[in-house]
Amino acid sequence: MSKIWVVMIVLSLAMTAIFAPSTIVGTMMEAAKMGVTMCIEFIGIYAVWMGIMQVLDDCKLSHKLSKILSKPVQYIFGKTDQETEKNICLNIASNIIGIGSAATPYGIKAMQGLDKGDKRATRAMIMLVVINSTGIQLLPTTVIGMRAIAGSVSPSAILWPTIVSTFLPTILGILLVSAIYRRRKQNG
Amino acid sequence: MADLFIPILVAFIMIYATIKGVDAYTSFVNGAKGALPLMASLMPFIIAMFVAVELFRNSGLSAYLCEFLAPVFKFIGIPPEVCELTLIRPFSSNAAYVLLRDIFSTYGADSYIGKCASVIMGSSDTIFYVSSIYFASTSVKKTLLTIPIALICNVACAIIACFCCRFI
Repeated sequence: MSKIWVVMIVLSLAMTAIFAPSTIVGTMMEAAKMGVTMCIEFIGIYAVWMGIMQVLDDCKLSHKLSKILSKPVQYIFGKTDQETEKNICLNIASNIIGIGSAATPYGIKAMQGLDKGDKRATRAMIMLVVINSTGIQLLPTTVIGMRAIAGSVSPSAILWPTIVSTFLPTILGILLVSAIYRRRKQNG
Repeated sequence: MADLFIPILVAFIMIYATIKGVDAYTSFVNGAKGALPLMASLMPFIIAMFVAVELFRNSGLSAYLCEFLAPVFKFIGIPPEVCELTLIRPFSSNAAYVLLRDIFSTYGADSYIGKCASVIMGSSDTIFYVSSIYFASTSVKKTLLTIPIALICNVACAIIACFCCRFI
């Protein structure tokens, strides 16, 4: 991650220095401002979802929800403690129903729960990040909205291709992580 | 359907909590408390990502990279017009939405390219963003094969997306 970041920055700076050096500082500051604006917006979004999820938690509904998902989650992630398992279930459930902003806080809590403090990503952590980055979502609400605004005759025509191209790569990701992990275990 | 789903869900949770004798207001406030510290700890990572993405786009490197990669993309069935979107998508949702809007206004939302772009946008996620903020709160320094695997899935996603769009 940090290597990619450094390479991106250095290459971009070198390129910009040749063609338009005067824009560099402006771009950086503008980007930082965008980042802060987004964080502030996200404080609000996360506050609402974390609040709702806390209600869900306190009335034991999340416990029931994670019971439904716990079998597949145990199968995919292996053994984790109960709290972490619940966070993983909530993360995946929020992703599937399309409230990605509710998924992130749970994903982060789950990652902290999976953290053994030994500086190397574990199989379960990799699995969680891969599943989250393939974007398991049933309803691409934002894209459908944008298509409607752009004057599409059928904004939701893309629904089934989106579902297919979300779930197949997710399955591919799960298989890849499982396969690589197993091989490592045999070697070491 | 999607517009009704969330209100119904939230109303259901509130009613259920009240029936169960849980003080929904106190619970909500307790949960919401966590948002500020969470975002405060993530902010440096988000800013780092934004700075890199914006510098990358501003430098014109993404456009060059697309020109360079277009034949490869064509070979695996991805139209060159959605190349930049496919490249930017793993880094930043916001930047990708800007590109998607451009594609809609240039080619139309119902064109093959417009559909491909929609599906790619809807079915993939911001790999680098997700992995940086998910690992940010842990002790992990070595992310091993996380990003390569996620990128393979992302490419697979784009191929499947463009293939499926031939049938709609």
